[in-house]
Amino acid sequence: MTSKDAFKTAIRSLSHSKMRSILTMLGIVTGIASVIVIMSLGDSAKQYIVGQIQSMAPNMINVQPGAPVMGGAPSAVMGLVIKTLRARDVEALEREPSITNVSPNVTGSSRIVYGNKSKSTLWVATTANLFKMTNLNFSSGYGFTEADEIGYKHVVVLGSKLAEDLFGSDTEPVGKTVRFEDITFRVIGVLEPKGSGMFSMDGYALIPLSVGQKQIRGIDYYQELNIQIDPTYDTSFVKTRIVSILRTSHQITDPTKDDFMVTSMDETLSMLGNIMSILTIFLAAIASISLVVGGIGIMNIMLVSVTERTREIGLRKAVGATDKDIMIQFLIESVLLTLTGGIIGILVGAGIVGLIYFVLTTFFSIGWIFAFPPLAVALGLLVSGISGIAFGIYPARQAARKNPIDALRYE
Amino acid sequence: MIEVNDLKKEYIEEDTTTRALRGVTFKIDRGEFVSIMGPSGSGKSTLLHILSFLDRPTGGSYKFLGKSIDDMNDRELAHVRNKDMGFVFQSFNLLSRLTVYDNVEIPLLYSDIIPRERKKLIEDAVIAVGLEEKLHIETGKLSGGQKQRVAIARALVTDPNIIFADEPTGNLDSESGLQVMEILESLHDKGRTVVLVTHETQTAEFANRIIKIKDGLIESDKTITTNRDHCSGQLK
Repeated sequence: MTSKDAFKTAIRSLSHSKMRSILTMLGIVTGIASVIVIMSLGDSAKQYIVGQIQSMAPNMINVQPGAPVMGGAPSAVMGLVIKTLRARDVEALEREPSITNVSPNVTGSSRIVYGNKSKSTLWVATTANLFKMTNLNFSSGYGFTEADEIGYKHVVVLGSKLAEDLFGSDTEPVGKTVRFEDITFRVIGVLEPKGSGMFSMDGYALIPLSVGQKQIRGIDYYQELNIQIDPTYDTSFVKTRIVSILRTSHQITDPTKDDFMVTSMDETLSMLGNIMSILTIFLAAIASISLVVGGIGIMNIMLVSVTERTREIGLRKAVGATDKDIMIQFLIESVLLTLTGGIIGILVGAGIVGLIYFVLTTFFSIGWIFAFPPLAVALGLLVSGISGIAFGIYPARQAARKNPIDALRYE
Repeated sequence: MIEVNDLKKEYIEEDTTTRALRGVTFKIDRGEFVSIMGPSGSGKSTLLHILSFLDRPTGGSYKFLGKSIDDMNDRELAHVRNKDMGFVFQSFNLLSRLTVYDNVEIPLLYSDIIPRERKKLIEDAVIAVGLEEKLHIETGKLSGGQKQRVAIARALVTDPNIIFADEPTGNLDSESGLQVMEILESLHDKGRTVVLVTHETQTAEFANRIIKIKDGLIESDKTITTNRDHCSGQLK
């Protein structure tokens, strides 16, 4: 039997029971569509988050106090007070040609009050450099300057969400005063909203480093250094330079005794990307359970079909079909079912992904990225084809093994 | 063409052994029209199944065109069934949702005949049974007699050496049965070998030789010299 004849025969058989074929395919359609949607959304989320981080802080390297940790949170994040990052480190780093800006940070949390409204918030005391290093834009006002910092000026820049919570939408916050930590701050700027990304400053208050560090916290160390590198330099080279500068500054000769941890944005992005990919694969694997269910449905219907067509099998064998011919015919039918289901599933998945993109961008103003990875399409086709063979082989073997005389006599 | 010697067939089910054929010996030459007759359970259908390579004997020997069935594997048997044998069944065994054309094409799907040569063979076979006007009609819409004629066309399409017919008139009225038998007779007249299994005497009398089987043995094997009376025009 030629392959063209085999396909023609299979298509004809399937088209004779259209409704059954369509219902049988539904399981595969659902399974493939689920996997496609999850993989696409995972890819979109990854691109979205990476994009957010890159837009907020391009070419950034972060230095945390405390020894480097493998596979765990930095010591400082775990609540330990580590005082190893000092002003002399910042001065040394600022002399390095491959570094454009250094922004040390001190953070704290306070209840911020405006009139009769108050809100518990996180504040970040930083230098004016932060506004140069990150793509923070102002919806009104401006950021503080080096002069504000040197002069211990009580000025504050509010995140959009915090400003909204304190002032509502009718009052312009710039020029008003807010109070926290027993200090009255004049609002000089409000940041544009950045959404709910992990680097969002929407709920933060930004104040000059000198005020936060000296006046509020009364400390002489920093909790974090954010470093912007010259993009003409290689990130790993600059990272090596930073490590070298800090070791000199901290008089460390044994590399295993480092009391700081340097992380480049590339590493953070790569780590995030890996986490997102693993999460996506994990979710896709869960979704693929529905593919197995769909496959079992195909096997069930194919077995019914083999029984119903016993006489046909007997006839085909009587007029010259071999076991292999019969097996191939039923296998092709099964693969055609799953492959068609797979293609429909991919289209349905693309439709759902498109709909989600439309809803998120139109109704929620989220800068969502439409991602439809070719890998998901290839995987969808491959998996549906393989499931057709895997779940079709048993019924096909049953058909091929039928004795022609018994098959011809079957009522 | 066909040479069987002491052919036996036993069916063993649990502790029971059924001896369907208990040692049958005969020859069929090319161009013969042979009827195998016998009452129900006599072993005639078993014999036809073995002769037509749908089953294997459990004893004795069977040579078709000089080659023993024992020397052929299942694949070779399928090839011989496709190339050298045509089948007509009592219950037609047509695929009712397919057209006459598509049903007649089925044996060709498993043959060496290339697709572009098939159309003429199918049309010729359908013309031979007088159904050319029904070529693209679904067989489910045909009468019983027409269905059996399609089955004969399907048996003819590969130009086989021999046609096996198992109770071909069993499901037909007498007029349709007569038409079918006349077609088989005309095929024989054109030199084709026909082996027919029937329990109807008048159907059997279309043949020029009648082998009667009883209890798995040949009861009689007679060549008919005087042909049956065609003037009656009907089968009983």
